[in-house]
Amino acid sequence: MGFGGFSKQDHLQISSLGMEFAVAELLGIGLGFWLDSKCGTTPWMLLVGAVVGFALGFYIIFRAAKEMERQAQAGKVKKDNGRS
Amino acid sequence: MDVAEIISHHILDHDWGLSLGGWRLPITTHSVTIFVVSVLLLVGLVYISRARASRSGRLLTTLAESYITFVRDSLVLPNMGAEGRGFLPYFCTLFLFILSINLAGMIPEMKTATSNISVTAALAICSGGVILYSGLKYHGIIGFLKGFVPSGTPVWLVPLIFPLEIISTIIKVCVLAIRLFANMLSGHMVLLCLLLIIFIVGKMHIAAGAGALLPAMVLEIFMTCLELLVAFLQAYVFTLLTAIFAGSVIHTH
Repeated sequence: MGFGGFSKQDHLQISSLGMEFAVAELLGIGLGFWLDSKCGTTPWMLLVGAVVGFALGFYIIFRAAKEMERQAQAGKVKKDNGRS
Repeated sequence: MDVAEIISHHILDHDWGLSLGGWRLPITTHSVTIFVVSVLLLVGLVYISRARASRSGRLLTTLAESYITFVRDSLVLPNMGAEGRGFLPYFCTLFLFILSINLAGMIPEMKTATSNISVTAALAICSGGVILYSGLKYHGIIGFLKGFVPSGTPVWLVPLIFPLEIISTIIKVCVLAIRLFANMLSGHMVLLCLLLIIFIVGKMHIAAGAGALLPAMVLEIFMTCLELLVAFLQAYVFTLLTAIFAGSVIHTH
C-alpha cells in the first residue's frame, strides 16, 4: 500500500529520516563535546560538531530524496505487493 | 505518592544479580524475560517442527508455514530479491523474537525487555552484522566499499562522501535500535500514567477519583489495544527496515 507515488518502503524510510537527522546532530554534538573535554577548547569543538552534525543530517535527507526520485523516474519500483 | 518513582519502578530494569569472587553476574528482570521467551520459543518451535502426526500438530505446522511464507513473501523477497532466500531464517527469528518480547510485556509480572536500549542495541548490532555480511557476500570487500560511493560522484568528492556514507549507514542501524526502544518505552509509560490519573485525582478528593475511574479505564483499555498493535507493528518495522537496508547493500547502484 502506498500513497502519492511512494511505496510502503519509501514511507518507512521517510519516517526514519527525522530520527536519522536527530541522531546525526547528536553524534556531532557528542563528538564536539568529547573533543572539548580532551583538548580544553570549550565551546569551539562543540559548535563545530553541531554544524557538522547538521550538515550530515541534511546530507542524509537529500541523499534519500535523490534516491527516491531516481527510483521513481526509473519507474521500476513497484514493490508494494511483494514482487518487483 | 511519588509518581516518577512508581513509573521508573515499573519501566526500568531491576538487578538482583550475584557477585562471585569479584565477578558480577547480572540477573535482571529484562534478562529473565528474554531467557523465558527464548526457552519458550525454542521448545515450542522444536515441538511444532516435530508434531506432524496428530490433527493439532498439522494445524501448528500449517500456522508456522504460513508465518514463514508471510516473512518470505512480504518482507524478504520484495526487498532483497532472490539473494534474500539465504537470510530467511534470520528474518523469521528476528520477527518472532521481537514480537514475543513485545507481547511478553503485556503479561502481568513480566517486563518489556525491548524498552531497554541495551536489548534493542544488541538486536540492531545483529541486523548491522547481517547487512555487512550480505554486502561482503555478494560484492566482496572492494565492491562493498565501492557501493558507498554513489554513481556519478566526482573523484575529488570521494574522500568527503565516503566517510559520510559510512556514518549514515551506522546512523541507520542506530535509528533501528532507538525506534524500537522509544516506542515500547513510551507506550508502557502512557499506560502507567493513565492508570495513575485515578490515584492522583483520588488524592485530591475521593469522589473526584471515583469520577476519574471510568474515563481513565476506557482510555487504558484503548491504549492497551494500541500497545498490542504497536507490538506487532514495531516487530514488523524492525524486520522490514533490516531487509530494506540489506537489500540496498546487495543491489547497489
